[in-house]
Amino acid sequence: MNDVYLWSAILLVTLATLVTRSSLHLLGERLRLPASVESALRFAPACALAAIAASDLAYTQNVLDLSLDNARLIAGLGAAAIQLGTRSMAATIGGGMAIYWLLRWLA
Amino acid sequence: MSSSRPSVPPGPSRRDAALRGVRELLPATPGIFAWGLVTGVAMVKSGLGVDYALALSLLAYAGSAQLAALPLIATAAPLWLIFLTALVVNLRFIVYSAVVRPGFAHLHWNRRLWLGFIVGDVMFVRFTSLMRDEPDYPHKVAYYTGGAIANWIIWQVASIIGIVAAGQIPTAWGLELAGTLALVALLAPLCLQVPVLGGAVAAVIVSILGHSLPLRLGLLLGMVVGMAFAMLLERARPAASEAS
Repeated sequence: MNDVYLWSAILLVTLATLVTRSSLHLLGERLRLPASVESALRFAPACALAAIAASDLAYTQNVLDLSLDNARLIAGLGAAAIQLGTRSMAATIGGGMAIYWLLRWLA
Repeated sequence: MSSSRPSVPPGPSRRDAALRGVRELLPATPGIFAWGLVTGVAMVKSGLGVDYALALSLLAYAGSAQLAALPLIATAAPLWLIFLTALVVNLRFIVYSAVVRPGFAHLHWNRRLWLGFIVGDVMFVRFTSLMRDEPDYPHKVAYYTGGAIANWIIWQVASIIGIVAAGQIPTAWGLELAGTLALVALLAPLCLQVPVLGGAVAAVIVSILGHSLPLRLGLLLGMVVGMAFAMLLERARPAASEAS
């Protein structure tokens, strides 16, 4: 692994980031999306968060675990309940981590 | 989060808006910090030198793409494969940029370029909530910029600490869970409407089923199916979704 290879790799990852995050912005008004797509985009935040969180919480080392033994899953569900009850992100993250660590010590 | 300051004239200044963005990002700090830390540690543990790890973090600023590229770099995989992998892992950001595009359309192209570049999951969700709940808020861009820059700083500081102190950070604590919990905190309140809840449930199911797909494509698939399903639900019961 030489310097040129490593720098090329780093710059290509950076370029990929730029292309995906900014290309639609650069097209600006020139790109018109169908009304149904524009409308579906309203649901993008929730669906993206749900998809990311689900694959993070349901899998432990690439093994699906939907049982009560999955401390991360239980902590995630607990955190959702804390968020709905308190509307505090600090309480949600703190409470979720507390549940996770507690379950791991008990196990 | 629940700042219900009315934006009536004379209204907030640009500085107020930027500070509000920072304020509404800050509660997510433990999550962003833990994620940055874990990413920093992972880069060094994969064998990437400290100098290259710092460059990758500071230039790319893309947690999941960085993590996906690491094993490829470690095995000296072809550069085109590294680029393709980073591109595909980042695909959700194309959807993000499509969502926030109307908010930036009036700006000069170089500002749009870097506003897109500094997007993160947390500020993306916050910004869409602002666009939905306070469409007439002035200085939306300043609000976004303030929060996104705060996110960048928190992430980079954590990532640099992770890179420099990789040996001292206990990976057994499962700190990265804090990042996921921050996303759960953003997600839960959005699901109080039926079409959104249905879309989120569909996204969860498809994302779990598609977990074995390469390049985190299951995630993208879950997101797209979820959005389509939410649309169907909304069309099936148009009256009930007028609540917002």
